[in-house]
Amino acid sequence: MSFEQRQEGEFTVIEVEEARLDASIAESFKTFAFDLIENDKHNLVVNLSQVRFMDSSGLGALVAAFKKLAGNGSFSLAEAQPAVRDLFDLTSMDKLFTVHDSVAEAVKGS
Amino acid sequence: MPTLWFAILKNHDSFCHADNSSMNILIVEDARDQRMLLSVVLRKKGHTVLEAEDGEQAFAMLQSQPDIRIVISDWMMPGMDGIELLQQVRKTTGERYTYFILLTGKSDRQAVVEGMNNGADDFLVKPVNFEELDARLNAGIRIIELEQQLEQQNQQLSEAIHTIEKDLESAACTQESLLAKPATIQKVDFDWFFKPSKILGGDMFGYHPVDGERIAFYQLDVAGHGIPSALFSFTLNNILSESSDVEAALSNPAEVLASLNNRFQTTPESMLYFTAVYGVINSRTGEVVIAQAGHPPALWISPENKTVNAVMGGGVPVGMMPDMEYQNQTLQLQPGDRLFLYSDGITECEDPQGEQYEEQRLLTALIYSLQFSVSETIRHVEQEISQWRNQDGFDDDVTYLLLEWNP
Repeated sequence: MSFEQRQEGEFTVIEVEEARLDASIAESFKTFAFDLIENDKHNLVVNLSQVRFMDSSGLGALVAAFKKLAGNGSFSLAEAQPAVRDLFDLTSMDKLFTVHDSVAEAVKGS
Repeated sequence: MPTLWFAILKNHDSFCHADNSSMNILIVEDARDQRMLLSVVLRKKGHTVLEAEDGEQAFAMLQSQPDIRIVISDWMMPGMDGIELLQQVRKTTGERYTYFILLTGKSDRQAVVEGMNNGADDFLVKPVNFEELDARLNAGIRIIELEQQLEQQNQQLSEAIHTIEKDLESAACTQESLLAKPATIQKVDFDWFFKPSKILGGDMFGYHPVDGERIAFYQLDVAGHGIPSALFSFTLNNILSESSDVEAALSNPAEVLASLNNRFQTTPESMLYFTAVYGVINSRTGEVVIAQAGHPPALWISPENKTVNAVMGGGVPVGMMPDMEYQNQTLQLQPGDRLFLYSDGITECEDPQGEQYEEQRLLTALIYSLQFSVSETIRHVEQEISQWRNQDGFDDDVTYLLLEWNP
């Protein structure tokens, strides 16, 4: 399984257990995240600590999950690695959602 | 025909009705009476039967009549025996599979192993029991029919794929014809490189005069590859290359991106968004106004200072979120200055070890290319990334656009 989920208080943490979040798994990520949202998990934190590379499809899948929430809940990312951080900088993702240094920080207050 | 045979055949009729598919069957048997007996039995079942006396004759018949699908061959024969014939048949891999039943007097395990190792599909122990012959033949016919079905489906698939490929190729021609030709417009030289990773690309670019002294130029990269991305990039190119009633907007790059963003909001399900750079150059003054949306930053190349600088000011890719704002950056070019626009297919291009080309190598190649003309620079960068890639094809569309201001 490429993705795992666990509950941290009110937050659902999605662990991406892949070195590449790219076109080959973007669809499965979307399905996984949409499934959680449809099952009333509305506070999502995506842990990207293992992801070394993300392409436009991977980025699209993250934003798709964020859009799917449609403002009803929260969506944040944690532990983005350097190449992924560069992509977030290039695409100004900070305007869309928060990228936390750690999962612990992301779920603080839960 | 001796009476005994009639008796056998008559008896045979009771359990075998010729409702099976008719097959072309070759019987290979040196003993004439046994060959004829088998032949009569099989003909009665509605099959077309051919006969051969030995391996050589059988092999020649198989060569000249490819519609023979089942061979029932004796093992022991003078000249080429059953095993040798079998080996020859398996060596000559035709388009169709030949189902091979070996007749053997030997019922021992060793014979079966030897036969199977040489490619036999089934065995019949002599003297042939007709009920068993019938059952084993039916098993063979099932396999041949399955193979025929697969072959037919395979052919339909091949034809369908062929049609799709032809359509894609013609779409690729259309895409190519949409690309602006290398040109000098109002003392600005433009040239480019475009290599889709699949037949169709999601990258697109263009340049055209907005008025007597301003030229718009752009490059965009639709997320994903293939047909949906390509169709989307066709649409965008149409919009951007038409400068009829939106001239005012076209000269304000940030407005162009913001208006595209509001027009093309993606759904969470489709997620077709794109990164873009859009600029307008004043060919009289050398002033460039440029806005970027999640695209690799445009590179500003100065031959005088021998420097390459990334143009600042990014933005969210177009189509991700409504109501995004984009920033105009203003650059004052010096005569001979260049701008290089590229898609991430270059910097993320991987060598055989999986290492990416990255921006630094691109900057080095661009500095080195200052000795070259615009078109030579296009070719030099192509050589550099092809050498880096060191294998056929790219994982992502590779596109870049170079302009040089020569007032």
